[in-house]
Amino acid sequence: MAAIETIEAGPRRESRLATFRFYARRYPLGAAGAAIAAIFVLMAIFAPWITQVDPTATNPRISLAFPSSEHPLGADFLGRDMWSRIVYGARISLAVGLGSTGLGALFGVTIGLTSGYFGGWYDLIVQRVMDMMQSLPLLVMALVMTAALGPSLENTIIAISIPLIPTVARVIRSNTLMLREMPFIEAARAVGMNELSIALRHVLPNTLAPLIVLATAQLGSTILVEAALSFLGLGVPEPHPSWGRMLSESAAEYVRVAPWLVIFPGAAISLAVFGTNLLGDALRDILDPRQRD
Amino acid sequence: MAAYLIRRFLLMLLTLFGISIVIFALLRIVPGNIADILFSSAGMINPADKAQIEKDLGLDQPIVVQYAQWIGGLVRGDLGYSYISEKPTLDEIAPRLPISAKLAGMALAFAVLFGIPLGVISAVRQNTPLDYVLRVVSLSGLSLPSFWLGLLILMVCVRYFGWIPIYTEPPKTWWNELLLFAIPAAAVGFRSSALMMRLTRSSMLEVLRQDYIRTARAKGASYAKVNFVHALRNAVLPIVTIVGIEAAFLVGGLIVTETVFNIPGVARFLVEAIRSRDYPIVQNLVMFIAVCVVSINFLIDMAYLALDPRIAYEK
Amino acid sequence: MYHRENSPSMSIHEEATYSVNISSMPIFNNLVVYDQHKAQNSIDALTPELATEWSWSADKKALTFKLREGVKWHDGKPFTSADVKCTFDMLMGKSQNRFRKDPRKDWYFNVEDVTADNPMQATFHLKRPQPAVLAMLASGYTPIYPCHVTAAQMRTNPIGTGPFKFVELKQNESIKLTRDSDYWKKGLPYLDGIEYTIIPNRSTAILGFVAGKFDMTFPTEVSIPLMKDVKSQKPDAVCVLAQTNVATNLIMNRDAPPFNDENVRRALALALDRQAFLDTLFEGKSVIGGALLPPPNGVWGLPPAELKNVIGYGDVKKNREEARKLMEKAGYGPNKHLALKVSTRNLAVYRDPAVILIDQLKDIYIDGELDVVESGIWFAKIARKEYSVGLNLTGAGIDDPDQTFYENFGCGSERNYTNYCNKDLQQQFDAQSQETDPAKRKQLAWEIDKKLQEDVARPILYFSDQGTCWAPYVKNVTIMTNSSYNGFRYEDVWMDK
Repeated sequence: MAAIETIEAGPRRESRLATFRFYARRYPLGAAGAAIAAIFVLMAIFAPWITQVDPTATNPRISLAFPSSEHPLGADFLGRDMWSRIVYGARISLAVGLGSTGLGALFGVTIGLTSGYFGGWYDLIVQRVMDMMQSLPLLVMALVMTAALGPSLENTIIAISIPLIPTVARVIRSNTLMLREMPFIEAARAVGMNELSIALRHVLPNTLAPLIVLATAQLGSTILVEAALSFLGLGVPEPHPSWGRMLSESAAEYVRVAPWLVIFPGAAISLAVFGTNLLGDALRDILDPRQRD
Repeated sequence: MAAYLIRRFLLMLLTLFGISIVIFALLRIVPGNIADILFSSAGMINPADKAQIEKDLGLDQPIVVQYAQWIGGLVRGDLGYSYISEKPTLDEIAPRLPISAKLAGMALAFAVLFGIPLGVISAVRQNTPLDYVLRVVSLSGLSLPSFWLGLLILMVCVRYFGWIPIYTEPPKTWWNELLLFAIPAAAVGFRSSALMMRLTRSSMLEVLRQDYIRTARAKGASYAKVNFVHALRNAVLPIVTIVGIEAAFLVGGLIVTETVFNIPGVARFLVEAIRSRDYPIVQNLVMFIAVCVVSINFLIDMAYLALDPRIAYEK
Repeated sequence: MYHRENSPSMSIHEEATYSVNISSMPIFNNLVVYDQHKAQNSIDALTPELATEWSWSADKKALTFKLREGVKWHDGKPFTSADVKCTFDMLMGKSQNRFRKDPRKDWYFNVEDVTADNPMQATFHLKRPQPAVLAMLASGYTPIYPCHVTAAQMRTNPIGTGPFKFVELKQNESIKLTRDSDYWKKGLPYLDGIEYTIIPNRSTAILGFVAGKFDMTFPTEVSIPLMKDVKSQKPDAVCVLAQTNVATNLIMNRDAPPFNDENVRRALALALDRQAFLDTLFEGKSVIGGALLPPPNGVWGLPPAELKNVIGYGDVKKNREEARKLMEKAGYGPNKHLALKVSTRNLAVYRDPAVILIDQLKDIYIDGELDVVESGIWFAKIARKEYSVGLNLTGAGIDDPDQTFYENFGCGSERNYTNYCNKDLQQQFDAQSQETDPAKRKQLAWEIDKKLQEDVARPILYFSDQGTCWAPYVKNVTIMTNSSYNGFRYEDVWMDK
């Protein structure tokens, strides 16, 4: 318990920067994760400033070029600069990661909150639906979904977000169930607040911590699912520079002629996911004391 | 207790029923049907032939009728014929199942073999450099795309050993089989073992703080005995859960790994069947996977009940 | 050998992909077949198989085959002229024993009837003279099927007269053939069997070949950079680069904007830098041509000198200048770009050129976006005209003008995706088809080919070269250079080990 008190005491006393430094020292791995994630986010935002090369421009002269000063990560079969494709690829991964996690969280929270708060028949039915969604293998679901919707960035985001819904809904529901019985909710009810505003103003904010923990943990896995889908030929279509797509069958063909085509995008995926996972771990420790080790 | 079991069982059936509707409907939303696929290699569509194919396969009937036919067949144990190979669905699925099951089993064994002991060590040595290293390794297990890992393994094997661990023909001896599956299983199992290790670590930490462990230590039980016997026994419960969660996830891992290592298992077969809109295969296979997942979760619930009498169930 | 994909079935007549020909051709025989060891298929180099000799009637409207005695089907039944009649009745849709699909029905539009004159003689009666019939019969696409086996069985468990017997097809796993010790060519085949391991993932497949798991790669599936790699890793491997007679082409939906405007169609044709495609995708190899494969590999195509003055084949800079003017005429310009979806099939051989195309179109005020269509429903989609411009691949089963013109440019043909229809030209198709003098026929074919390009019927980007590799001990494999459907009998291939 002592640990919790110091942490909670931390932010109150110090400025923001100092707070950050405080956490960074206590969670060096988390800080490293945050730094990695920040680098990728910056890369996505400032892509056009980082590289002037158009990631979709083809050039026969540099087909399968070895990494050089001009093309630091080499070029692919069609003669597209790998460095610029990886930099722009951060945008796709970020869009998929944030988009599908956000979408999944939005629906998950809505469903979890309402079913936990209102209970009854509604809850029972919703829980069955969630059961169903969890019993279908995630990648298979996403496969069928992308096949149904057709490959595009938006559809990939939707397809990946759907399997996230039950996970989020479950956690939020159990939190809501717990919160519903809390004294302060009783108090709000006693004062005569209506149910909806209790749910929105008192229950929802209190589920934010577990939600953030869960969302960060899922962020990495959505990026991985996108990569796997693209690897299987679905997912974000060409010529979008998606990291997973760069690893897909057609690129992997040249794995031995040009190993850099496979190594760099794979490393980018792994590093990005690793970063968000580290960050997610630290956030869990900070925000969700019950799970702390 | 009995009432609870029955209730759980009925809910399970309800879930499966729902899944059957979902997968059936989803498949029909996907554009194109088997007739289109059959013509795809011909480079043209002949409307009359196409209509004939649809009629032969009963695809011209109303969706509801098709659904009823499928479920009716399922209840009678008649799974229909694959559209592509024109063989009974069961004959197509049955020989592929053991291959994937072995792969999954080995991956899970790999996960348990590495994940649990390393998790215990990591917990016991909390906040030492060893703990940090193990945590980073386990996190990387959750971060590497398994197909990328597989590709790198293949690359290294061919380049440095002139040997490629892919499946080209059924292995003749069990030893060959073990060798053949070991690498793909490790590629899939890496993720599961990482997950297992993290979970073991956190539940171990929880248990190690409990009074009775301190008591055991005070009484002079050996270090190893305390950690591995007393503590682990109590930490095992949450670990069982993860097996259930991983079961559904493993299918995804199998799909890409079977693709990379060219293993003719059921997971890759499913993907091919989705691509060729081979409804009987996809529907029945997805149902089969769902039944597995649902039953595993059911069994795990039962295991909870048996292992931990403290858990009380609402009636 | 490994196989590039899960074979749709074993029945050659029902499929139109060389994936099936490669694994099924060894099971069957034709009446006549292209000489398996002459790389260029031509009507002058035919080998007799189930027919021992053949002759045209005086009016060139009847083609009679004398059949080989003593040939047995793999199930022991004797082969007779009834089997020949059955096969072509089935192909023409006249039989009770129906194919599930019949992609080459149109090949026989000019065949009135096939008759079994006596057990060892069969005659093809034509509506009008058509020398190309013999070319079609010699294709790997035209095996003789047994009368006594159903079409459904031929898909799953085929019976042939060929050098190898079918053993099994395991979906997504393998196809196995075994030597027919009773084969009518005494002493053949040399191989004990052929096993095709299905590996859809190309990188895994190539790695497997390099590691020595296979004696041969899937024919004409190895790209040029990969071939180099195979040579460096396995210096003793034999690799051959061959022309496939597969044309990469552009299809435009002429019924809907913006391609209902001729200016836009012509602008697109003018914007193409064909050489850039070759440079990027084939290190400069492969061939640029018109509708028919150009010489030296092709028999009938326009030679490069003749192509120079045809639209879109000349100087790229000048052409694009002109293209921009046409685009401006159509109402587009530097400030008003045309947003376009370029549809293509989700396969690397389609996708890669499409990416280059989009890049080239940037020069003429077109912002292209790739619309990747799932491989299996690609033709269904373009048949429904759900595309604006598409990048497509069309393989020619045989190197002959009849097939190419009627199938891809004929009015109302199901493979004429663009609905291009020119009645005058259609008459010219018939004229060349009836011409029995090859030299005159070639002149006619050239005229037609030029007109097709001028009309921007379906711009041909290039004909691709592809590689095949095999281990040094594999002998007697010949890769055809003007078709990719006809050279897989493998009866006299052997292994020196």
